[in-house]
Formats: sequence, C-alpha cells, structure tokens
Amino acid sequence: MDLNPPPGENYANPRICFFHVLFKAGALAFYILSALFFDSFVIIFVVTVLLSALDFWVVKNVSGRILVGLRWWNEIDDDGESVWKFECLDQESLARMNKKDSWLFWWTLYLTAVIWIFFGIFSLIRFQADYLLVVGVCLTLSIANIVGFTKCRKVTSILSGLCDAKKQIQQFASQTIANRFSSTIQSAFSAV
Amino acid sequence: MAHNERDTVPLNQSSQSDIDEIENLINYSVQSTVLPAQPPSPPRASIPVSSSPFIQSSLPPPPQKPAFVAPAVPPPVSNRSSNGQQQPSSMTGFGSPPNTLTEPVWDTVKRDLSRIVSNLKLVVFPNPFREDPGKALRDWDLWGPFFFIVFLGLTLSWSASVKKSEVFAVAFALLATGAVILTLNVLLLGGHIIFFQSLSLLGYCLFPLDVGALICMLKDNVILKIVVVCVTLAWSSWAAYPFISMAVNPRRKALALYPVLLMYVSVGFLIIAID
Repeated sequence: MDLNPPPGENYANPRICFFHVLFKAGALAFYILSALFFDSFVIIFVVTVLLSALDFWVVKNVSGRILVGLRWWNEIDDDGESVWKFECLDQESLARMNKKDSWLFWWTLYLTAVIWIFFGIFSLIRFQADYLLVVGVCLTLSIANIVGFTKCRKVTSILSGLCDAKKQIQQFASQTIANRFSSTIQSAFSAV
Repeated sequence: MAHNERDTVPLNQSSQSDIDEIENLINYSVQSTVLPAQPPSPPRASIPVSSSPFIQSSLPPPPQKPAFVAPAVPPPVSNRSSNGQQQPSSMTGFGSPPNTLTEPVWDTVKRDLSRIVSNLKLVVFPNPFREDPGKALRDWDLWGPFFFIVFLGLTLSWSASVKKSEVFAVAFALLATGAVILTLNVLLLGGHIIFFQSLSLLGYCLFPLDVGALICMLKDNVILKIVVVCVTLAWSSWAAYPFISMAVNPRRKALALYPVLLMYVSVGFLIIAID
C-alpha cells in the first residue's frame, strides 16, 4: 500500500468520505482534548464510545458499501447456526470503483486502530483503568470492522478467481461446441 | 448484526444457478466428446427414458443427475461449521444488482431502528414466539443492548450524588463483562446458544431495569424504590428465563439461570442503594 493517494482522479463520493473520516477523527479528537476541558469521566466515556459506535455503523453500512462495494454481516440460519455472510459488488462495478476512495477507506481504517492501540498503551502505563475501558471499547469496534472488511476483500479475490474460471470455461465450452458442430456438419455432408 | 431480508435470498439462488451453469458447461463439454452433439439438456432434470408416468413404482425415479453431477466444482455454499466460520456466500456478481449494497442510507437506518424495536418487543413483552427462542432472536443486534447499558449507567450516575464517574464506569463494566461471562457460562455448561445472540438477549432484558432505574431517579422514596425494583427485577428475569432455560440441558437449567438472576439482583441493589 502506498503512502500517497493515487494521482489523477478526484474523490467520487466526497460526502461519504467526509463522514467516514468525521466520526473516527471526532472520537479521537474528543478523547484527546476532553481531558483539558471536562472534569467528568462519564461525559468523556459516553461521547467517545457513542462516536466510535456511530463510526462503526457508518463504516459497516455506508462507506463500506459505497466506497469499496463490500459488506459483511452475520445471520442465524434455520438450524440455529451462526453464519457470516460477505457480499460484494460484481466485477465490473468493482473495477469501476474510485481508487482514491478505496485508498482513503483502507488507510483510515487501519490508522485509527493503530492510534487507539497507542492510546491504550499510554493509559496502561499510567494505570488509568477507566480510560483503558474507553480505549478497549473503541479498539474492539475498529478491529471488528477491519476483520470484517479484510475477510470480505479476500472473499472478493476468491470470487474474482471463480469469475475468471467461469469465463475461461465458457470460452472453452463454446469452442468445443463450435468444433463439434462443424465436424458434425462435415460428416453429415460427407455421408450424403 | 443480522440482515434477514428477502433480497439476499435471490442472491443465493443466483449463485447456486451459476454453480449449476459452470457444472453444466463442464459436463457438456465432456459429454460432447463422447456422444454426437445434442441439444443441451435442461439442468438437473433427469428424465429417464424408461419410466412412464403411469407406473407407480415404489422407488422414486432415480435421482441420477447421472451425468450432471460434477463433484469437481465445490460450491462455495456448503460446510457450515458451528463456530460461525466465514462463508464466502451470497456473491452477487452474476445476478440482479444487489439490493442491500445499493440501497439508500436512510433505508439502512430505518431497517436497523425497526429491528431494535422488534427485538425489544420479542424479548421483553409477551408474544407467541417466546416458546421458540432460537427463532425469536434470529436477527440479533447489539445496538439495543448498547443503548440500554449506557442508559442504565447514565441513570445510576445521575442519581448518585458523589463519585458519579466511578458509578458509571462500574455499572458499565459490570453489565458488559457480566453479559460476556454469563454467556460463557451457558456455553461451558454445554448449552446451545450463539455468543452474540446471548449477549443481545441479556442486553435487551435490561430494559425493565432501565425503566425501574428511571423511576427511582425521579422519586426518592425508599419504599417506592424497593417495590419498583422488585417488580422490574421479576420482569427482567421472566424475560430472560425461556431463552436461557431452553438453551441448556434441563438438569443444568438452574446452574445457567442462577448467575443471570444474581446479576440482575445486584443491579437492583445498585439502583436501590444509590442516593
């Protein structure tokens, strides 16, 4: 993954990108700055966790769909077993996805988790158990999204492999049919 | 977070039909080298020539999809393991455009909100589905429990005159880890329950205690508090009972239920004792 956004295009969905980054940055900023302004831990906890949860929802349901065309969820089937489902757009739509959008998506996803890990280490060093709780919750939410979307991406690459396989088989089959057909006609004519 | 809507069903069907397509292409190309070219037979329709519709044979017409079975193509939709291992299913590449992937944002919000409400009604209020717990909380979600736990923590913190932050942190941590530990307890007792479903259930069962805590916050009479807490405690326990008891062996029902009741009783004490 490169450090710079791919050149050339602009963001295809600037508003979605904005929201994608907004809640993440909001949660982090509030966590950092609140210690300066607020005395009460409750407000810090509630607002940070709320922003993190909103960010989780936005990434899972909105920006994942629109920026990279992926979605994951869990279902319980009739046997009572839990099944994780991964969904992606078809190959043509995926190829048409804006590269800058997906660069932003993945980079901010991983970066946020790394920053939360740093904060966790700080609060561990300072023996602040309650701040560790906040960081723990936010980190869990970020990691859940990362794991879900990474698995989704792997599934996409498997499926695109299947897609190519299907195309190849189609070509092979149509060629074989054509050969068969022409040889049948030839033998029919020769028999006449 | 589950989506149970119909629009994922056609996706599965289309993926299954694509597998069929691939199978047929393979088999057809294999077949055509052996037999003279014939029009492609309909997929999966084995019509054995010898059977006539008038003969009532005891055997069903042989489910020979004889030449049509292609074990070489492993369909991705299979082998569901009980741990909820990830399944690359519901691919949307070949069928109609995916509805959940392209729906407007507002629809997603409305869908999630209505799911919270319906889950709440299923768990906490009397309804015919309580007999079948597995079906009742099929669409588990963690938003409801999240809101209820935060609300309970806030209410307790508000009612407290000193040490507000600690009360909140303790309440939140107690409820969250309590739910996790209770779920592990059920699983370790050999119960059949899905981890997230159980977390979701225990969270939703906090709703009556939320109501009780709110009432206790508004009125400060001790007798009233005790009465209200007892009523809401009974309500919470009644809500949680069928799901937990159905999940475990009948001989171990008490072992699974007792910690749940204990947790709710301790939350009840917390509500009464806060001043």
